Amino acid sequence: MSIKSSERVSQLPIQIFLIVFTILTLYPILWVFCIALSGEQSLAIAEVPSNPTVLDRLRAILPWPEQFSWDNFRSVMTEQPFGRWVLNSAVVAGATTIAGVFLATTAGYAFSRFRFPGRRTGLMSFLVSQMFPGTLMLIPLYIIVVQWLGLGSTWIGLILVYATTSIPFCVWMLKGYFDTIPLELEESARIDGATPLQIFTRIILPLAKPAVAVTALFSFMTGWNEFILAATFMDEELMYTAPVGLRFFVGGYSQQWGYFAAGSIIVSIPVVLLFLFLQKYLVSGLTAGAVKG
Amino acid sequence: MKVPVRLQSVTLRRVVIGLLAGLLLAVGLGWWMQVSALEEMVRDAGSRASVISLGAVRATVEAVGLEGQETQAAMVAYDEANPEVGPIRVVRFGGIRMMASTAPEDSGDQAAPRKMTREEKPFYDLGQSLRANLESNAGEARAWKEEIDVQTLDADRLALAAPVVDAVGTVAGAVLLEAEPPALRALRPSLLGALAFVGVPVLLLLGLGRLGADRPFALLVASLVLLVATLFAYGVYSGGAIRDGRRAAEGVVGERLAQEVERVSSVLVEVGVPAADVDPTDWDIDRFGQPVGLHGSGGLDPVRLEAAIDTALASRRKLLMVLGVGALMLLGFVGLGSADRLAEIVVRHHLAYGYVTPAMATMLLLVFFPFFYGITLSFTNQSIYNTDQPLSEIWVGFENYKTILTDFEVYRETELGTTPNYQNFYWTLGFTIIWTVTNVAVGVSVGLLLALILNAKGLALRPIYRVLLILPWAMPNYITALIWKGMFHSQFGVINQVIQMFGGSAISWFDTPFRAFITVLSTNGWLSFPFMMVISLGALQSIPSDLYEAARVDGAGKLQQFRFITLPSIKPALVPAVILSVVWTFNMFNIIYLVSEGQPGGSTEILITEAYKIAFEQYRYGYAAAYSTVIFLILLVYGVWQNRVTRATEGI
Repeated sequence: MSIKSSERVSQLPIQIFLIVFTILTLYPILWVFCIALSGEQSLAIAEVPSNPTVLDRLRAILPWPEQFSWDNFRSVMTEQPFGRWVLNSAVVAGATTIAGVFLATTAGYAFSRFRFPGRRTGLMSFLVSQMFPGTLMLIPLYIIVVQWLGLGSTWIGLILVYATTSIPFCVWMLKGYFDTIPLELEESARIDGATPLQIFTRIILPLAKPAVAVTALFSFMTGWNEFILAATFMDEELMYTAPVGLRFFVGGYSQQWGYFAAGSIIVSIPVVLLFLFLQKYLVSGLTAGAVKG
Repeated sequence: MKVPVRLQSVTLRRVVIGLLAGLLLAVGLGWWMQVSALEEMVRDAGSRASVISLGAVRATVEAVGLEGQETQAAMVAYDEANPEVGPIRVVRFGGIRMMASTAPEDSGDQAAPRKMTREEKPFYDLGQSLRANLESNAGEARAWKEEIDVQTLDADRLALAAPVVDAVGTVAGAVLLEAEPPALRALRPSLLGALAFVGVPVLLLLGLGRLGADRPFALLVASLVLLVATLFAYGVYSGGAIRDGRRAAEGVVGERLAQEVERVSSVLVEVGVPAADVDPTDWDIDRFGQPVGLHGSGGLDPVRLEAAIDTALASRRKLLMVLGVGALMLLGFVGLGSADRLAEIVVRHHLAYGYVTPAMATMLLLVFFPFFYGITLSFTNQSIYNTDQPLSEIWVGFENYKTILTDFEVYRETELGTTPNYQNFYWTLGFTIIWTVTNVAVGVSVGLLLALILNAKGLALRPIYRVLLILPWAMPNYITALIWKGMFHSQFGVINQVIQMFGGSAISWFDTPFRAFITVLSTNGWLSFPFMMVISLGALQSIPSDLYEAARVDGAGKLQQFRFITLPSIKPALVPAVILSVVWTFNMFNIIYLVSEGQPGGSTEILITEAYKIAFEQYRYGYAAAYSTVIFLILLVYGVWQNRVTRATEGI
């Protein structure tokens, strides 16, 4: 008993440190909520009088709005084209997920199950492609997708590019997962008269559900969070994705911080939840890739 | 001795198919190039003829002046004399006046000269934008911007506009007109002729084979000779057609020029303006106001025309040469039997290739091809102004790399003393390295410290802290960046409020490189420590506790335990995480681009944001591609090095 209570006493400074640190860490997030719920466009939490006391200053940094209002959420979705931008993002991210899962599962399956000329080269080239810097790709991609194919400011242009950026990582991860599924399962199915396509769709894919789910979420997050390519490809205001749109609210001379804050919360909630739900897989996937790399 | 090429596999069938494929590729693409070159020529001649009319009208207006009734009279006279042009409008910026208009609706009380109406604002705006372009070109002594405007209205009508300069040399107005380019029929090269270039050699080869020359070596040589000879003959044949087409087109342009000179002289006489001579040298110009220079005062200059055609044909010859090499490779590929073997492999593994093809094809189109295209671009000086030129025309070799890597002027002497040159590559590289090292150091130390604290035995509320402290990593990083940019706002930002609360004065965060660096460092530190924390915590929890007990028994202090047990145990997990976060931070585009935006003066730019700005704000694609290739090489060196390091740690 006495040992336990002494441990509890020694925890006190640690707890205080952790609480302070956590509050400091969460401050930017609280700040966004506060601005979003203030109903104003200003980026100050409270007005500071011309001769402020310490209390006035404290009020201006306390993340608690002066009055609560849902106006920012309401008008960002109705009056602003933000609803349309979120729709663009949803369509792009959704289609990227479908395309990414299709491309990655088929290729991962082939690399895992078949021995064919070019297999090693293909796998290695996927790995090396991860090292190509984004901007080096950006210029040719801009020329190819926007100037040659004329797919600037369209959904399909972004979907194509996003689906390919997540392929290499997903193929490697899926290949690793498929490798763990015993071959005997396929053989017995073949004896029962299943076609190769049936084996893939009825046996392999259902068994690999966790890996397929991570692939899907990885593709979705790429499509949902990407900023540079979208900012470069989408010239028309109506075709912006949510990230480009959020920047539009507060970039340059525009100072619509209320819309930005409300929009950020709407955009972040799904990915933050997904992330918390899946971070275990992400961490193991990322570090495994790094060790292999 | 082994024969390098397996000649016995060369058969008549393969060689004939190979020759056919090669010729179809080279002659087919060559024919298509010829067709589009001739069409382009006709279009170009037509628009140049119209531009000459525009120049004639402009010269008339400039001779008459933009003051009185004469402008309208001159334009009416010109419009009557030239059935292919009209309506003509002349706008004067001073007083926003329509000085002349031959449009049918502008008669009666609408007749020019008069004040412009609201509906006519587009004409005025177009004129003003041309004036701005002309003045900006004159200011930079360089033709960057379009000085005349040419738009296609419908099938065969063009809308043209040019600025008008008054006697003092200022841009006082603009002429706008519609014109019908002369109906030139495109010289369509006959498809039959091109097909003959494919059919005859193939038949010849078949004949040779039948005649008994079917030894592999003879067949191979015969097909090679036939391919090269045919392509050479085709090059001469199609080059001649292009030369004839160009001469005919220039004839039409020259004719139009002569007509216009006469027309302008007679119009000037009619309105009673004594014009000494009409000078048509600046009528035949390109969009940027530069004279094409093929038609002197004495008509078409044949020497210059032939020289221009020769240049055009030389670049065409280069392209044909490339096609020829492609055809040769195709011939070899099919003729030596590689194609057959490839087909056999594909058939044997058709299932595997079927599964791999969709992903491989998109990767080839959107990852590998762009990558090599980007490297190719890095050897050119492509910019937004010359994207339509073939790469061979703008090839500069290693010039871009030389400019980037041999410019050591990190500090520059100015009238303000020695100042750093923020655009210098080595400054940016240095800043990128500092940025990466400090960020990783902050991330690792904060993350490790938190992990050690959270790992304390029996800590209450641990899962809650863990979830809350992970949130910065979960947020999309562009949102994080914009939030912190708001918090660092010099007037309303929360951080300055805190500083003022403690009696300090507000800081302009983006005014000096050091302060701007603090903003990006804190933003990136905030979003990167949770990753390190999660990795370290996972590793810490897997250390068996009896290790520490044994150490305690041996009398090791807390510090020694950390140094000899904790650190070595978490190293295998920490090293890959550090390696990964070095690459992430090195390429952390969003934070720099959105928070500091490189301020002040590009000092806080990292390599990839600098490359982006060169490409998409200065539009120097070639230079930016070279810049990016240098970044890739740096990452490649780092990748090779990290591979060694990880192998070394795995050994431990």
